[in-house]
Amino acid sequence: MYQYNEVDQRIVNERVEQFRDQTRRFLAGELPEEEFQVLRLMNGLYIQRQAPMLRVAIPYGLLSSEQLRKLAHIARVYDHGYAHFTTRTNIQYNWPKLEQVPDILAELAEVQMHAIQTSGNCIRNTTTSHFAGIEATEVEDPRPWCEIIRQWSTLHPEFAYLPRKFKIAVTGGPEDRAASQVHDIGLHLVRNDQGEVGFEVLVGGGLGRTPFIGKVIRDFLPKQDLISYLEAILRVYNLKGRRDNKYKARIKILVDAMGADAFRELVEAEWAHIRDSELRLTDAEVERVKGYFAPFAYDAAAADDASLNQHLAEDQDFRVWYERNTREHKAPGYRIVTVSLKPHLGAPGDATDLQMEVVADLANQYSFNEIRVTHDQNLVLGEVKQADLYSVWQTLVEHNLARANIGTLTDMICCPGFDFCSLANAKTLNIADDINAAFDDLDYLYDLGEIRLNMSGCINACGHHHVGHIGILGVDKKGEDWYQITLGGSSREDASLGKVLGKSVAADEVPETLRRILLTYVEQRIEGERFLDTVRRIGMDPFKEKVYAAAA
Amino acid sequence: MPLLLDRQIAENTWQFVEESLPADTGNADLVVPFELLPQLLDQHQGRCGVRVPGELPYEELLPFLERVALIEIEFPIFRDGRGFSLARLLRRAGFTGEVRAVGDVSRDRLGYMERCGFNAWMISDERFSESDLQAFAEISVRYQAGADDPRPIYRQQ
Repeated sequence: MYQYNEVDQRIVNERVEQFRDQTRRFLAGELPEEEFQVLRLMNGLYIQRQAPMLRVAIPYGLLSSEQLRKLAHIARVYDHGYAHFTTRTNIQYNWPKLEQVPDILAELAEVQMHAIQTSGNCIRNTTTSHFAGIEATEVEDPRPWCEIIRQWSTLHPEFAYLPRKFKIAVTGGPEDRAASQVHDIGLHLVRNDQGEVGFEVLVGGGLGRTPFIGKVIRDFLPKQDLISYLEAILRVYNLKGRRDNKYKARIKILVDAMGADAFRELVEAEWAHIRDSELRLTDAEVERVKGYFAPFAYDAAAADDASLNQHLAEDQDFRVWYERNTREHKAPGYRIVTVSLKPHLGAPGDATDLQMEVVADLANQYSFNEIRVTHDQNLVLGEVKQADLYSVWQTLVEHNLARANIGTLTDMICCPGFDFCSLANAKTLNIADDINAAFDDLDYLYDLGEIRLNMSGCINACGHHHVGHIGILGVDKKGEDWYQITLGGSSREDASLGKVLGKSVAADEVPETLRRILLTYVEQRIEGERFLDTVRRIGMDPFKEKVYAAAA
Repeated sequence: MPLLLDRQIAENTWQFVEESLPADTGNADLVVPFELLPQLLDQHQGRCGVRVPGELPYEELLPFLERVALIEIEFPIFRDGRGFSLARLLRRAGFTGEVRAVGDVSRDRLGYMERCGFNAWMISDERFSESDLQAFAEISVRYQAGADDPRPIYRQQ
């Protein structure tokens, strides 16, 4: 993974001291509240329902064991012994003390981490596939490009006061695990007819109040032009994006209002000024960054191991976990292991300090010292030898990290909801518990197959409910929590926005509503058909009838 | 109201005329809203400046760049970032005069503004402190190309 050089380290250190001084001036009454709010948000610090919340950046979801141990340490020393992984592959602490935040940032800087631009109206953490670099179908590893974007976007002087937040996702191949089509900018590494690799560029996707799928504005961008093209898009947006209404300030609204063609023309006109400037990436820089992401020295004999098959034959629990939570790695004899942060009756995406340390140790011992955070709020040990899987599994089981539910109904994306978030309209964690309690039968879950359930506690859609195969949105009705259900969304390469099933249901009706939806699927599916495909084939009506008929 | 010019506290010689211009404007340094600029350039013997909002398309200023000594860019509120891009575009177009930030201007954006091409700032009395001058040195690394240095980090040596 990327290692800071002296310059990278200096910028993070200086930002810590800058923020320390901003905090000091605020506490001394020299900096008005409304200005400090903007400045602290640009450093990931919110004031939440119970306490401040600090969001720490995990660039493109990649961590070293040392970094994850530091995150565990911060959870233990400065917080309540746990933290929450987010859909931007960041991590949130829910109970830090404002005056201690500069010290937390200084600790993070010791391990090349920061909270820069994890909130605020600026360019946020760039995300990518959690299987980047280890998936056989990839055109190219997207992570070097993410790092190049990270550096360009970090403390960008021109784009720190955008109309609204700005999110970029990069995919390395045809499989989209980064929800790139619902990002402000989606970048897809593609190969053109001449065999050259470049980027397909999408703009104007997004979720929230007004969800949109991104539009392609350029089929092929030469790689050397990445930074100049991004700069052109951001400049157009900074100047033209709406600033009169924060609900209409995202780039998706601008692109929709003027049309993708008109937007493209503005970008291309601006790009013509800067394309041949010093912004063009140098081969030396690209090679330098790529050097940090070279494939590891895999054991050529890894596939010779016979113990895996023996364990699979002898231990059914292990076999179930192996089938659900591990997948093929491009190197023979290695597997990709997903560490489930979706335990029975636990907040989705939360991890304790001890759990983080356990995963850090496993990565250190078995997976080249690296951990990946997934956008659906799990962790990944990317490169585990098959001979080591049984040991890894045993340790994960011991620490409640091996629930064999990856890709199933209970592997849900879920925001923290009303219990923590001051924006939320409704609770989510209790609903997640109810769903877990109602759908605890693993055989039933496996029979249902791949289902993505996403839940948000408000219209801001941090839980990506629009793109869940099943989406649940918490709404407030006269002081009570109600839940609107959508079906048919996807954040993958076949991205689509879910459609509303019908009137919202009360909190205690959510599990029964899901049960009827799933029953409809089981009755209607044809052999081997995923839930999402059944919804797409038969439409909403059969589901509506089943859910609402009995109630009427 | 204190003026910072090229990282120093300076005397403001410019006078803002918001509405109609008097017949005889003498030899003063005068700055006017964009609408009055043609008239000012027509009649005024002294130095001319223009005050513009951040949303003004920079192309509209291009015909005047050689004839004005000062462009003031307004920041109506702290969060409004349009002026950052406007300043960069004006510098890119070759404007070498003073680019001054006016309105809601304070310490914590000075460094970014300078990198976008501003070299002057009007800061209100209640927000100004001499320590504001230290803001320019808070972050010494420049990953990006800017108006101050066209080389991004990968071309700096």
